[in-house]
Parts: sequence; C-alpha cells; structure tokens
Amino acid sequence: MNQLSPVLEIRGVSKRFDATQALDHVSLTLYPGQVHALLGENGAGKSTLIKIMTGIHQPDQGAILLNGRSIQVTNSSQAQLHGIAAIYQEPMIFPDLNVAENIFISHRGRGAVVNWRKMYHDASDILGKLGVHLEVRSQARGLTLAAQQTVEIAKALSLKTRVLIMDEPTASLSVHEVTQLFNLVRTLRNQGVAILFISHRLEEIFEIADHITILRDGKLISSKPVSEVTTETAIRDMVGRDMESFFVKDESRRDDLILSVQGLARSGVFSGITFDIHHGEVLGFAGLVGSGRTDVALALFGISPADEGKIIYDGQPVTIHSPAQATHLGIAYVPEDRREYGLVMPMSIAANITLPMLRRYLTRLGIVKRRAEETTAEEYRQRFSIRASNVRLVTSKLSGGNQQKVVLSKWLNTKPRLLILDEPTRGIDVSAKAEVHHIINELAKEGLGILLISSDLPEVLAMSDRVLVMREGRQMGIFTRQEATQETVMTAAMGQKITVGGI
Amino acid sequence: MQKVRQLIRPEQIRELSLLLIIILIVIFFGSQIENYYSARTFQRISSSVMIIMVVAVGETMVVLTRNIDLSVSSMVGFTAYLAGQQVSQNDNLSPAVVVLLAVSFGALLGLINGLLVAYGKIPAIVVTLGTLAIYRGALVEYGHSKNILVRDLPDWLVNLPRETLFSVGELDIRLLAGLAFIIVIIFQMVLLFLPYGRRLYAIGSSPDAARIAGLPARRIVLLAYVLCGALSGLGGFIYLSRIGTVGTTAAQGLHMQVIAAVVVGGVNIFGGSGTMIGMMLGAILMGILEQSLIRMQINEFWKDAIFGMFILLAVASDALMMNRLRDLWARGAIQMRIAQDAAVQKE
Ligand SMILES: Nc1ncnc2c1ncn2[C@@H]1O[C@H](COP(=O)(O)OP(=O)(O)OP(=O)(O)O)[C@@H](O)[C@H]1O
Ligand SMILES: [Mg+2]
Repeated sequence: MNQLSPVLEIRGVSKRFDATQALDHVSLTLYPGQVHALLGENGAGKSTLIKIMTGIHQPDQGAILLNGRSIQVTNSSQAQLHGIAAIYQEPMIFPDLNVAENIFISHRGRGAVVNWRKMYHDASDILGKLGVHLEVRSQARGLTLAAQQTVEIAKALSLKTRVLIMDEPTASLSVHEVTQLFNLVRTLRNQGVAILFISHRLEEIFEIADHITILRDGKLISSKPVSEVTTETAIRDMVGRDMESFFVKDESRRDDLILSVQGLARSGVFSGITFDIHHGEVLGFAGLVGSGRTDVALALFGISPADEGKIIYDGQPVTIHSPAQATHLGIAYVPEDRREYGLVMPMSIAANITLPMLRRYLTRLGIVKRRAEETTAEEYRQRFSIRASNVRLVTSKLSGGNQQKVVLSKWLNTKPRLLILDEPTRGIDVSAKAEVHHIINELAKEGLGILLISSDLPEVLAMSDRVLVMREGRQMGIFTRQEATQETVMTAAMGQKITVGGI
Repeated sequence: MQKVRQLIRPEQIRELSLLLIIILIVIFFGSQIENYYSARTFQRISSSVMIIMVVAVGETMVVLTRNIDLSVSSMVGFTAYLAGQQVSQNDNLSPAVVVLLAVSFGALLGLINGLLVAYGKIPAIVVTLGTLAIYRGALVEYGHSKNILVRDLPDWLVNLPRETLFSVGELDIRLLAGLAFIIVIIFQMVLLFLPYGRRLYAIGSSPDAARIAGLPARRIVLLAYVLCGALSGLGGFIYLSRIGTVGTTAAQGLHMQVIAAVVVGGVNIFGGSGTMIGMMLGAILMGILEQSLIRMQINEFWKDAIFGMFILLAVASDALMMNRLRDLWARGAIQMRIAQDAAVQKE
C-alpha cells in the first residue's frame, strides 16, 4: 500500500542516561500521509525517541534520515527547519505571553517589526481552521490544559510541518475534544503530513493509527500495520505477558455518609452542586474538560473555597477554607497538573512521597529519618512498579507516567478518609492503570469515600458506583451504575436532552 | 467588564496605580514642605532620576530574562572615570567620541558578564556579584585613587546638565533628562515591537519552553547583558557630566537604587513580565521619595527604612494583586469561550 518513499527514518538509535539504557538500537520509519502510533509502558523510551528526533537529546549511536539523506539535529530550531515539529507530553507554553505570541514566537521571517494586528489575525485564522474558539489576546497563564495543548498544535501547524510528533496529546482531553483532535489529525494526514502519535489509550490507537510500533525497555518489540495488531497482542508486546485489559469495581458501598454537599457554588465558576458520598463509595465526575469538575475539587480541598452552599463531613457541618484544614479533616486531593501542584521536581522520589506527612518521619530532634522515609517510598515503588533504580532518584528524571505514580503515592501516604482523584491515570500505561484501578477498589473496600474525576469515560463507568455529570459549571444529573452508559453520560455532558431508549 | 478586560491588561492597572501613588506622595510632600511645587524641586528630582533611569533600562532587559546584573554600579563608575580621564587629557575630543567611548567600554564589560552567564552557565547573581567587586577593584587599581577634577573637564561637558531642550512655563526640560526619557520610550518600543523584545519575555517566562521552541536563548541573554553594559556606559557619561569630580568610588551602591526602581516599577524579579514605562514610574517614585526626604531632613536611617518598606510593599502587592487580577482575567476568558461555544452550538 505504501509505495511512497519515507520522509523520516530512524536507524539503530541508542541512548543511555547514567544507568538507564533508555533506547537500544531502535529503528522507525515514517511515511507521508500515515499515522504511526508508538506504544510502550511508562519509561519504555517513547519520549526519549521523540526528543532525539527533535534535537533535544543527542543519540549515542544511530542515524536520522530525512528524505533518504542523513541529517544532524542538534537543537529544536534545526528540527523546525527540517519540518519536524513536536507537541510534548508536558505543554511547553510561555505563561506570560498571549495566545498569538505563543503560536508565533519561534517564527523567523515575519518581518523585522512585530505587526500585532496581523499576528492576531493570523493566529485567529489558524485557530479557526482547527475549529476552536480561543481569545488570541488572552494570556496563556490562565488557559486550561486542553487549551494550552490547542495552542501547541496551532504552533506546530503554523510552521511548515512535514512530520508532526504528538506525545500523549489526548491525555488531558475529554472524549469530545479527542474527536475534534482526531478530525484534525485526519485532515493533516490527508494533506500528506507524517504523524507520530503516542497514547496509552488503546481504543484511540486503533481508531486513528495506520501502523503500530511497540517499545519495551528501550527495545523495539514489534512494528506492524494496524490490521495485524489486536488489543491482546499489543498489550502482550508492551507488558511482556498476558493481562486482562479491564477491571470492574467490586460492590463496597456502605450505608453511612462520609460527605454530603448541598448547593455548593463559587460565583462565576460553578453552582448548584449537590451530592452525597458514602463510605466505600466511588463517585465519578464526568464532563468535558473545563466543565468545572476540578473547580469543585479545589473548593472541597480549600484551595479556592466555595462561597455558597453547605458541606457536611462526617455528620458535622464544616466550612473548608484551606488545604491544611482539609488535610486535617482527612481529605486528600491528587491534582491533575503534576508539574504545578504535584511534585517538587529537584527532590528525590522518597522526599516527595513523605512531604505532606513529614512529621511522621522526624526524630525527636526534628531530623528527618532517611531510612524510614526510604522504606515507605520503596513500598510504593514496588506497589506501583515505579521505574527508577532507587527512591533517591530526583523526580525530574522520571518519565511522565512514573512521575504521576509518585504523586499518587504521595497522597495515599497521608492515609486519607476522603480521597479526591483528579485524572489519576492520565499518562499512565496499561499495567499501571490496572494497578491504580485495583488500588481504588481496595481503598473503597477499606471504607474510603472516593471522588474520581476522569476524562477517560470507560474508566469512570467501570470504576464508579454513581456518576455525576457536569457541564459549564452546572450539575446535569447523577446516574447510578445501571443508568450510566457512554450515551447517557455523553449526552448529559454535551448538554443535550437525554433521550430515553434509542439504540 | 468583558470589554474592559480586553482593552486593559493587569500590567496596565499596576502602572496606573503607581501613577496614583506618585500623585498622592507629591500632594503629601507638598503639604509638608514649603515651596515644594517649584522649578527647583523638579530639577533636583529629574536630574537625580535620569541616571538611574538610563541604567535601569538595561537592568530591566536583563531581569526580564530571569537574570540579574548587580555590577551596574561598578560599570557606571568605571566608564565615568575612564571617560573623564580621556577628556581631561586631550581637550579636543569631540562629544560624540566621548559618548562612544563610554558606551562601548560599558558594552565590553557587559559582554564579559553576558558570556559568563549565558555560555559559562554560572548563575547570574554569582557572576555579577563577582564582577561588581572585580570591576570596582580594577578601577581602583587603574585610577591609583586619583580624582578627575571639574576644572580639568572641557566646558561643554560641565555645562551639559544645564543645557535645556525646551521650557514649559517655569519648568526647564533639560537635555539629559529628555535623553533619558527618549531612551525609555525607544526601549519600550523594542520590547513591544521587535521580535527580540518579545523573546526576552519568552525566555524569562519559561526557559524550558524557550529551549524547546528553538529560541537562541544564549544569544538573547548575551545581548541583554551587552545592552545593559552599554546603557551603564551612557549612565557613566551622564554621571561624569553631572557630578564632575569623579573618584574611584564613583556611583558605588547605585545598583541598589537601579534594582529598586526595576522592582518597584513592577518588573517581575523572576522574569517574564514588566515594562519600561513601569520601571520609569518606579524610578520616578523612588527619586521623589529620596529628594523629598532629604529636604525634610529625615535622618539617613529612616530614609533607608522608608525606601526598604516601599520595595517590600511593591513586591508583596505585586504578588497579591497580579495573581488576583490574572485570575480574574483568565476566568473572564474562559467564560467568554463558553459563551462563544454556546453561541456556535445554537447556530
Ligand atoms: N534526562 C534524563 N536523565 C536520566 N534518565 C532519564 C532522562 N530522561 C529519561 N530518562 C529515563 O529514560 C527512560 C525512558 O524515559 P521516557 O521519558 O522516554 O519514557 P516514556 O516511554 O516516554 O514513558 P511515559 O509513558 O511514562 O511518558 C526512563 O527510565 C527515564 O527514567
Ligand atoms: Mg513520555
């Protein structure tokens, strides 16, 4: 089928970081008009491969060929000149600049003087083609993750891109936005752009990819057209063993309430939020990205408190006005943006995990007990199979998915009674995701109340006892496990009338 | 409210509030000091502010990139001394040559700072704390603690500070103050309209993203230091003509006033945001405070304490106010997007 010649070829690339062989003789070929998916567990070396293609890392060995000719890529601006653009796992935006500037900042040849009017015009043009409405004059600082990502895509498209690399672009998007993104990807593919696509969500891969390459521990395991791959073989190649791909939560809901929220509101953000959580219950929060789910979580955790409504915790009416107070009550919040709120990057895994509970790791003189700290961290490292040679490693060197596991460990270590999880499996590979689901199940059985915010709809449906759907800061309804299906939840999230019956 | 948000940025609110504070302070001192509203007060303040303003333009560019230059006072001192020595030794040097000499020697000192910071990968605060001492030490060695004296300087240089550009009623706008103002405006334009200016903000805003976007971060930072050096050189020239008698301790401690002006003017000390106009208002505010407190004969200790308090207030209000405002603005943007989405869906 592919009589075309390849645009970009990676031949026998190896890369080593200290003790980690991140890539070991990996080859990959990208054709114009093809969507090539790259799969692998956390730490398999996917992001490293991409960073080699864009000149952020230099390979120890191997070659990169563009249109059959060997090229050197020593920095990102060279990659851009070659027509290679990438959207990274962590959005790389300039918070102080506005949307339009973020799109055009690395452009050359837009004249010696900045023509603001033209820049705003061109930026709205590009965003318009992407079918998104973003105010091009607004500062990037306040944008949601999804919006930041759109800006990055616009940035990549504004350059003459022949190869577009997307490192987990869907991780922070909801179903609706993923559909939009995929339409865009198909348009680009039809225009002859070669696309390299990374995701941990298999159903997405099968929807969009033409070719699938799988890495494990830095080695190339398989590379086949999508027609020759099934979910089972893909998982086996990634994990190295067979594994059931989905998990359904056991019944563990008890009769006594842990939290009851009535008419919670924060002006201009959300209003009329009313729900109960029982001990042992998982309440899923579904909705589009930006529908206010995180804002409700932030209010319950006291980061940006609600200004209306009642919160009854353990039978006592409370007002939660600070995270410290929330923590004291036994509420833990695992945030969605691990870079901003989750991790202290230059500190070790162990130090990060014990940070909120440091009191427990002090000697009587107030000195940190390193041994105890590392024992705890080691437990979590094994429980979540965090890929790091030891817990003294600084978190900035971990792969994205492994960082997420550290954040989760950190909050579980506070031994909470009400756990708020905001996108807990974002960027986490299949086996770790199964592990997280397993842990949620265990915690619920122990009697914790869990509030699960997730844009991964199958996950919400499988893990929740009940699902609350939000749209534009309002509560659209609460569905029981029987009532909640892909269709009912999506229609509610999109704001349409819920049609009964149907398919 | 939406319209307001689109037209005004949080930074501009900050600048307006600085302007308001300046007006309030002038009214306050006017009620405390006899004959405060006079041409003399204006002259004093404007001539004390102009040097700081010129140097702070360079400092602002460095600070925008999430760096700092502590060595500006030594650069001003050194260039002032060097230029003074050259003109007093040969009378027939033309003004243009003297200015060029000061500016290019300043640029050279800035280049050394820039190379060490951008290519040597040594933290800016360490590098410039070092060169602050080194440049000063070199000047002491070079000058053998001999002073440049006013009587050795040519007339054109000594009279330069009294050169008037034009007069508004009683107030004479001096040439040098006008020059300082024009430099502020020119560099404000650079920040707004040249790709270089926008990239200064980008680098300070997120160094990681700048690297990944393929911006030549090191060259941009280097140039910021060179410009800071060059403007310190110009500041040195102005210092020479204004003070006349220049020794090896010239301009010592000036970097604190310069950095104070930058910070009070709302330039984020962690880079990424701030304007030249804001910095100018900061410099003017500090200048008014200084000159007025001198006239009220407040003792040195209290003067410094009041200065320090203003700096703390500026930084604290910056953190609080700007976060609030930005939050408000961002929420506005989100609400607008939702409204637009809804409108599109209706169609
Ligand atoms: N700068 C670095 N220094 C040291 N080790 C690194 C560095 N970058 C990556 N590694 C290591 O290389 C390995 C591969 O990491 P990489 O980020 O490529 O994984 P990934 O496949 O993208 O995983 P994920 O799905 O979690 O994003 C990991 O073990 C990681 O810890
Ligand atoms: Mg990765």
